[in-house]
Amino acid sequence: MAEQQIQTQPQSAEHTMARPQRWAQPFDSNMTDQDVDRLLSESQLKDIDSEKFPKHIPLGGILKNDTRLVKFTPGEIVVREGDYGNSAFLVLSGKLRVVLSPSLPRDAIGRSEENTRSLFEAFSQLWTSNWLPETRDTSKYSLDELMAGGSNESARVVLQDIPAILDKHNTGAIETGALFGELAALGRIPRTATIFADEDAELLEIRWQGLRELRAYNGEWKRMIDERYRETALAAHLLESEEFGHLDDDQIKDVADRCIFETYGSFDWYTSFQRLRSQGKSDEPVIARQGDYPDGLLMVRAGFARQTVKHGNGIKTINYLGAGNNFGLHPLYSAWKNPDASEDLALGSGLSALGYVDVVRVPASVLAEYVFPNIEAPVNTIEVASQKTVAEDALLEWAVDERFINGRQTMVIDLNSCVRCDDCVRACANGHDGNPRFRRHGKIVDNWMVANACMHCADPVCMIGCPTGAIHRSMSGGMVVINDDTCIGCGTCANSCPYENISLVQIADKQGMPVVDEATHRPIMKATKCDLCSDQLGGPACVRACPHDALKRVDFREFAH
Amino acid sequence: MTKNISILSIFGVIALIVVGYNAQKMDLNLQNSSVLTGYTLIVVMLCVALLNTRKKLSMIPLGKASSWVVFHVVGGLLCVALFWVHTNTFWPKGLYEGFLAGAFYLVSLSGIFGYLIQRLNSRKLTETGIEVIYERIPLELREIQEKAEEYILECTEATGSDVLANHYLNTMVWYFQKPRFYWSTLFGAGNAKVWFRSEGASVKRYLSSDELEYFRHLEELVELKILVDTHFAHQNLNKKWLLLHVPLSVGLVIMALWHLLLVEVYAL
Repeated sequence: MAEQQIQTQPQSAEHTMARPQRWAQPFDSNMTDQDVDRLLSESQLKDIDSEKFPKHIPLGGILKNDTRLVKFTPGEIVVREGDYGNSAFLVLSGKLRVVLSPSLPRDAIGRSEENTRSLFEAFSQLWTSNWLPETRDTSKYSLDELMAGGSNESARVVLQDIPAILDKHNTGAIETGALFGELAALGRIPRTATIFADEDAELLEIRWQGLRELRAYNGEWKRMIDERYRETALAAHLLESEEFGHLDDDQIKDVADRCIFETYGSFDWYTSFQRLRSQGKSDEPVIARQGDYPDGLLMVRAGFARQTVKHGNGIKTINYLGAGNNFGLHPLYSAWKNPDASEDLALGSGLSALGYVDVVRVPASVLAEYVFPNIEAPVNTIEVASQKTVAEDALLEWAVDERFINGRQTMVIDLNSCVRCDDCVRACANGHDGNPRFRRHGKIVDNWMVANACMHCADPVCMIGCPTGAIHRSMSGGMVVINDDTCIGCGTCANSCPYENISLVQIADKQGMPVVDEATHRPIMKATKCDLCSDQLGGPACVRACPHDALKRVDFREFAH
Repeated sequence: MTKNISILSIFGVIALIVVGYNAQKMDLNLQNSSVLTGYTLIVVMLCVALLNTRKKLSMIPLGKASSWVVFHVVGGLLCVALFWVHTNTFWPKGLYEGFLAGAFYLVSLSGIFGYLIQRLNSRKLTETGIEVIYERIPLELREIQEKAEEYILECTEATGSDVLANHYLNTMVWYFQKPRFYWSTLFGAGNAKVWFRSEGASVKRYLSSDELEYFRHLEELVELKILVDTHFAHQNLNKKWLLLHVPLSVGLVIMALWHLLLVEVYAL
């Protein structure tokens, strides 16, 4: 915001300010022009042709505003397996090590062990729960820097006893000049391995926006990123699909080589979603337009897309597609099967991006060669969807508009059955030291309320940017949980959650005295949310406590249909 | 849930037939069937009363509360039938037994009443189109009142007339202070609307077009308050019946146990 200057004109009733620019908030405000010059002389970057970049997004600007220099000492973890991140790393100097197998223990990388309480421990909550709100045993916060509150830089987890790790785990070296983390950053998928510094190392961290530009305007970077994706992830993705599962390795490689990668929408859609919704606007870039002729099958690799048809003066949502879903197979098949048919083979529906969508476009020629001869005529989804009335689709339309389709364990309350007794809230508090982790309040459609409880999303944007990895997916159940011990209360997750389901609370010690930072005397905060009673016996207490079966945890993919 | 109640009711009826048949058999053999029916009744009563304990022990996997409620409802109805089998009359003789029967009927009736009104109230609350947490209702009402007073002040300042302000002070302030028309709201009579219409009609003729605009804002606030009052009345009733049902249940169990003790010591 340094470059934004607010000017007040007393003569007018208006306030004016400089229009916010792309780089109003650089990744690291400490990056200097000298740093950029040094980077441009590094072997990995010096060959990039800066002339290819548009004037409004110069290479120097990308390096200055979308990257930062980070140093790691031996043992410090750079990325953690299972974390969601929005940046890639280029090794400028030093050596890193990637843990291949087996994975490092959860406690070694700053994750809490997933322990379920015993029956006695569960029962003992009756008398061990504190009457005071949000109390903590502060002695468990062993990392002093975690108590400092809010500093993203200071909170790194250091691996102890590296020789023992090297003995027990199969690791690989990452040398100077290597790029890593770009697939997780661009594809919104979890990091697949833990990487730590083997010796003093300097890395260039490139946030996804910069990575996207480098890929877009530099052929070598695009080739490098796409090639790595083709080698590592695309083949597996194709083999998992119904259409390409029968192909052998050579055929899969051929298909992968001929695929085209596309991304739509904003990676950080969650930052603008609420604002746009409140203004009655939406930002849904078109992927395919109804009436256009398809040139390839669109396979959604990450994110969500809305499938629509024109209806009266508006558009009607008939389906939404997530990772693993395809679009356009039916018209392509029809065109292949009946090349001389007189019927209109244009797309009968449109597709638009809900937030960030990563798409693989498989050309029609590939389908004709490998897929169509081996499959039955695909179902025409539009025909199926058109049998539904507008009223029947109202819940789906609403769920897509509100992005609730992201939820995998969404708390839905049938208000026609709910007697507003709040037994669910009490049960939640009973299992969380007297502190409820959701609010029986939320958006309503018809007789359904989606309560303000963590939905354990398919695309957990709350995880992006957590400096300590405190918020993570549980390995056992896949629910999104927060490790209270390593949460530094920076609020990144709470600000990122588009559904306002994460709260920051001020903590107190066991006697109820507020805990404050010793240097600044600012309160120590912790992020809290529904953890689906992951450490309790019997699953979510809220569901079990509802006396009228009004409260459910649902996967919105099924519920909305 | 209705399906579960139906299934469990079948078991309840079977249990009742078994107990009734055995009691009749004992009577025919000149044995005291009251022992069988009495013990069955108190066991079922104690099991039914465990629902409240289950609510307190939500952290232990004791099954879904909804299943317990189904058992509570069916078990409670079974208790009524067992009570009649046990006493062989609607109202037993004896002062203590009379009290016991009175408590029993009150608990049973309050339970049936509570169950039914909870089911009915849920839909009525949904139909309001808004959702208010019970504990926040005073705050919501306070906000509505403050908004109304803001309009009144604004109206006075903008129009220079105090007609609406006086009307507010003399009549409307009473309405905005706290939930009103409790019983009429519960029965859906709509007295609040009628009251506001008649009060409004008396003052509207003295209002200028500018003041009428503010009056319309007040009307909107009254409509909102009616919805909040609806939530208050129905949610209040949803909670209040338990204040009768639960303490009476505890009293009934204690009285029944005392009755059992007396019978064991003196009658058998």
